[in-house]
Amino acid sequence: MLLPEALVVAMALLVMLSGRFGWIPRRASAYLPQATALIMLIALGIELWAGATLTTFFGGALVQDRFALFAKAVALLTAAVALAATDWTAEDSLHLGLAMPLLASFGILVAASAADLVGLWAGLELAAAAGVVLVSLRRPDLGLRLLVVGGVATTLIVVGLAFVYATTGNADLTAIRDVLMSHTPTLALAIPMLLLLGGLALRAGLAPFHVGVLPVGLGASPLGAGLVIGLVAVAAALVAVKLAAALIPIPAVYVPYANVIAALAMLGGGAAALAVRSPRPRLAYLAVGQLGWVAAGLATHFRSGTAAALFLLGAFAVAATCGPALLGRAEGGEPAIAGFGSVRPVRAAGLGLAMLSLAGAPPLAGFFGELAVGAALAQSGNFVLLGLGLLGAVMSAAAVVGTLRVLYIQSPLEESRRGAAAALPTVTAFSTAGGVAFCLVIAAYGAFGYPILGLADQGAEALGLK
Amino acid sequence: MTLLTIVFQNPSPSPAGAAGAGIFSSPILLSLLIWIPVLAAAAIATMPNPRGRYDTLMKQIAFFTNLGLVFVLFVAYNQFENFLPTMQYEEKLDWLPAIGVKYHLGVDGAGLVMLVLSGLIGVASVLGSLSVRERVRAYFVLLLLAQASVNGAIVARDMFLLVLFWGASAIPLTLLVLGWGGPRRHAAAWRLLGYWGLGTGVLAAGVLALYAVTGAQSFDMDTLLKAGLSPRIQIAVSLVMIVAAATRLPLFPLHGWMRDVLAEAPPGVVVVVAGAASRLGAFLLLRTVIAGEPAAGHLLSPVLAALAALTVGYAGLAALRTVDVRHAGAYLAMVPGGITVLGLAAISPLGIAGSVLSLFTGGLAAALIAGVCATLSERAQSRSLLVLSGLAPRMPNLAWLLTIAALALLGVPILASFAAELMTFFGAFKNQPVGAFAVAGGLAISAIALAVLLRKVLFGAPNTEAPGVSDSSLNETWYLGLLAGGLLWVGLFPGGPKIPGTEVPLFDPGLLNQMTAGISDMASPYVAPVPSPTPAASQ
Repeated sequence: MLLPEALVVAMALLVMLSGRFGWIPRRASAYLPQATALIMLIALGIELWAGATLTTFFGGALVQDRFALFAKAVALLTAAVALAATDWTAEDSLHLGLAMPLLASFGILVAASAADLVGLWAGLELAAAAGVVLVSLRRPDLGLRLLVVGGVATTLIVVGLAFVYATTGNADLTAIRDVLMSHTPTLALAIPMLLLLGGLALRAGLAPFHVGVLPVGLGASPLGAGLVIGLVAVAAALVAVKLAAALIPIPAVYVPYANVIAALAMLGGGAAALAVRSPRPRLAYLAVGQLGWVAAGLATHFRSGTAAALFLLGAFAVAATCGPALLGRAEGGEPAIAGFGSVRPVRAAGLGLAMLSLAGAPPLAGFFGELAVGAALAQSGNFVLLGLGLLGAVMSAAAVVGTLRVLYIQSPLEESRRGAAAALPTVTAFSTAGGVAFCLVIAAYGAFGYPILGLADQGAEALGLK
Repeated sequence: MTLLTIVFQNPSPSPAGAAGAGIFSSPILLSLLIWIPVLAAAAIATMPNPRGRYDTLMKQIAFFTNLGLVFVLFVAYNQFENFLPTMQYEEKLDWLPAIGVKYHLGVDGAGLVMLVLSGLIGVASVLGSLSVRERVRAYFVLLLLAQASVNGAIVARDMFLLVLFWGASAIPLTLLVLGWGGPRRHAAAWRLLGYWGLGTGVLAAGVLALYAVTGAQSFDMDTLLKAGLSPRIQIAVSLVMIVAAATRLPLFPLHGWMRDVLAEAPPGVVVVVAGAASRLGAFLLLRTVIAGEPAAGHLLSPVLAALAALTVGYAGLAALRTVDVRHAGAYLAMVPGGITVLGLAAISPLGIAGSVLSLFTGGLAAALIAGVCATLSERAQSRSLLVLSGLAPRMPNLAWLLTIAALALLGVPILASFAAELMTFFGAFKNQPVGAFAVAGGLAISAIALAVLLRKVLFGAPNTEAPGVSDSSLNETWYLGLLAGGLLWVGLFPGGPKIPGTEVPLFDPGLLNQMTAGISDMASPYVAPVPSPTPAASQ
């Protein structure tokens, strides 16, 4: 059943068209975020209820399996919570601000179900395009930069996919895996893999490719930043997971690259988070560090590692997308969030939990995911990568403590000194509920790890991993 | 029953537990010790507090939460069946079965000792924090979260849970130092986080290595630590665990955080760090190296003895040289940790029993000396030993408490640390004579440092140019008195008070009785085989 996808697309179109043609009165527009978040929750409910049935659509172009169920549930939940937690007075356009996360989620839904290379690419590009639109609303220059960087990433990905197609003679992921069963690792496959993974890393903003993407995210609106740092990176990671599963018969062509990318991201993310002090860049670098752990999970090329990476990706998606939204427009560096805990307690709690989770600090969602990946790394004997990851996590935790100190221990700025860059987020009942919902999701993710990791494990199994 | 017979007794074939044992049982008793403080923290975090109107209520919630925990602990302590070598109050639930993580809690005698310590420290820390006036909500939320994580690390029977709680205790304590510490709080907090973060990372690496080499798809301690690994792997894992423990206890040379944190943190936090959180280091060594990897325990015991000797010697010398009373307290608080590790290095039943008791006595003594020095410096408005002099007549309560703390560190009779040090040294002199002599030498230096401290601060000529001093407040006397009282109680009644004329325990079955559960099991790999009688001898 493609009802969740239909609901998401229909709502996105409705919101965009109503914004363009003024179909909805101004007073009623105030309730659009609530309605949109509700639709996302309904889509999530339908996905969880009906998505367990294994089926295919469009002649096998889209597959509904456990992997798709897990990824779609993550995307829909993330979008719903992010929409609820956003301070809409800090966004540049209500209608586009609502529509773009829906389209990014739709991109993830497509990529998650894609059975061939075209579907994967299309889903990723759709998610990335939504990010470009939202960034362009506030900073057209940065939007253009993101477009150019995205173009480079797309080129690398498309060339890589073309080589895979040329080598295997197939675009279907299952067929590619079957063909590769009788293949040995060759340079002809290793080079396109380098391009492909480079493109995906560029899309996800992983170190050292973060120099292209992260500054863009930092200049966007809060939700725009969340989209670039979170949902687009999730789409890239999901594409990487599906490709890795297709290439599993010859892991030697991608595992060394994945190891290097993971090591650079985990260490670089942690070190950079420690080096910067402003909350949004710190959040972005923490996200880079955690995405490195996801890459490390893929590098194990086992079912347990991939399942752990998926489990972590769920925690990452929620924290990285909602973190900037919870931060709101407090873009004036550390002083902007001084004493945030006393003036905006729910948002401060949410921001603190998002950062702690991205740092992999116990006992939050990210910790469970990173330790699950760590267990897989240990099982595969990759202790060097594990050690580097733990070092990165320690640096990330130290960085987060610095922000927590500012949030809770420093005194708030006086109102007279609080300029536009340090403006406090507007408090509404809806955004407060969104903040509370975020805190509950992050706190409960580990506690309900049994069914979530179980589903992620089934997802990895659905990809054909043993 | 003498001290030594209590320790040496094997699990009784005809159990004779404490009166009333087993009457009350709760399937979630240990969970209560973890989650009650978390719930109380959540309640404090979310309750409205316009202009600090309910600051006092928040303090009361924290206090009564800790009192409630002590009640739960009292029940657990009295119901504990000391003749059983197995874990008690066990809770086991599948948590992340895909990677073999279970919510598995349980305590044996050593764990019970740590829980009693943590309960006392919890109450003392809240009493010692009642003078906090700024950001009361955040302070008590963090304090309760720190206590919950320490309790969690004590009762964890799954290595994943252990890493989780072990790591979780670092962040609230760092924030407490950062937010409410003295002038050098930033350096202190970052050092604490750096060392403890490193320890957590190393512990996680060790646990994951163990998980990988056993190939058991389980993080359960019963599986990982009884996997029968080769001695080479046991040594590798044990070395990692020693590093993790050394950052926490701390042991020389990974003690870099101790001086600054105990010198800069507020007294309530000093008590938690010195008394309970740091003891987790020795507890980890006991659980993983001594009980879990006996082959490595045998081989690495000289390393442990050397670390113990270096720690005690360094602490004594540093305390002798410093001119800051809080630094002196911090260095001296390292001494009990060294003694505990010496007991573990003894790898004998007596030594291990001594170190288990030393977890309790060392925690109380370290918290007491660091807490007294912190309170004394606040009350005397100076930390400099060049200024503080002849204070005994003007602060009699603190003078008494400092004297008790000094005696407790040295293991003087009638204090519980006497029994602990006696057993530790008796055990160690047989297997680690060099280490035991070295630690004894370090203890002698510490005794000199303490004597100098007492003579100068309490009994020297009064300094007329020093700032005005006052004796401890009621709260301060209570929190320090509670720690001293714990040492005195166990020192006077190691086997618990009895109804006069009978052997029936009055209300306390005795810490020494309760802690024996499981020690025989832990020590069994180290018991030398009794030589079988030769044919000539039998004739």
